[in-house]
Amino acid sequence: MEQPRPDEDQKLVARTQEGDVAAFDDLVVKYTPRLYGLVYNMTSNHEDTNDLLQDVFSKAYKSIRGFRGKSSFYTWIHSIAVNMTLNFLKKRGRRFNLSLDDVDASIQNDKEFLELTQTSSPVREADLSELQVRLNEAMMKLSEEHRAVVTMFHIQGMPHAEISKILRVSEGTVRSRLFYANRQLQNYLEEFRKNPVS
Amino acid sequence: MDHFNDEEIGKLLRLKRHEQPPPAYFDNFLHEFHRRQRAELLRQPLWKIALQRAHDFMFQLNVSALTSYPAAATAIVICAAVLSLKVYQTPDAGQTPALAATVTVPAAGPESREVAWSLSSPVATRGLDTTSFRIANETAQTHRAVARTPRYVLDSTPVSYEAALRF
Repeated sequence: MEQPRPDEDQKLVARTQEGDVAAFDDLVVKYTPRLYGLVYNMTSNHEDTNDLLQDVFSKAYKSIRGFRGKSSFYTWIHSIAVNMTLNFLKKRGRRFNLSLDDVDASIQNDKEFLELTQTSSPVREADLSELQVRLNEAMMKLSEEHRAVVTMFHIQGMPHAEISKILRVSEGTVRSRLFYANRQLQNYLEEFRKNPVS
Repeated sequence: MDHFNDEEIGKLLRLKRHEQPPPAYFDNFLHEFHRRQRAELLRQPLWKIALQRAHDFMFQLNVSALTSYPAAATAIVICAAVLSLKVYQTPDAGQTPALAATVTVPAAGPESREVAWSLSSPVATRGLDTTSFRIANETAQTHRAVARTPRYVLDSTPVSYEAALRF
């Protein structure tokens, strides 16, 4: 996923800091789809994602005057989103209910999806909604921190360095969490591999 | 194949990118954001709004340098010093006009002659000054003036004389 240009963001941030509300609206429009994906894949719940995202932008708007540009706006807003989502998930505890978005029809043209259906029997045999539920359930079995790393790396396509900046941990920690999360996902998806249609 | 390998797990998870909210969701998100912001603003107490506006005003004045703790502490100390200096000076400055008023109001009348009644004046001199009786009579219309002047005289009378007078 392509990252937004930082110089454009800097201008919008500067204008917002000078009191131009429309500039912040531009930032909201620009970052909503990306942050939606981040929060949604950490919560697996559309309604929670919507509320969290509103809170994220509200907090960002209140704090933007204190933003000094030591990191990019991209990193800063992602940090807010991840931290607020992690706090929310910790408060929610183990209780959760999936409220999943529909799978886009464009998946049928996805090169990776086509490859998987050709090479992997479970993916070929399961229908899309079954596959979606299995993947989300496996994700929800991960700890919040591991889920955050998996979401940013595998789903959002962020490099390790960017994830380490957002989470304020070392790159080694990011890699280690990713390794551990992959092992766990392998185990959780093993049942799906053995028995693709439940 | 025993397990999904890392690459396959990556591919499977990337399929989650196709989970998308309803088409109009992103279009309505900004309107919803504005609506929530307005609702939040209406819920805020007045003092909080005033504080926020004061903060914004200070920010516009570019006094953000004062946000550092040492600078803020210095500013507070200076303010406290100026205020304490003012408080120290206030009684003198405040009393002078009040005293002036009490002196100047009767200045047009006979009390202007009370200047001679200072404590530093010798008692004998005061006793011989007959004008003081005239002052008492002339200011008899003013209750406070009448009450003040004779008492001053009585106070100066030795207590031992009073018993003798009652006989």
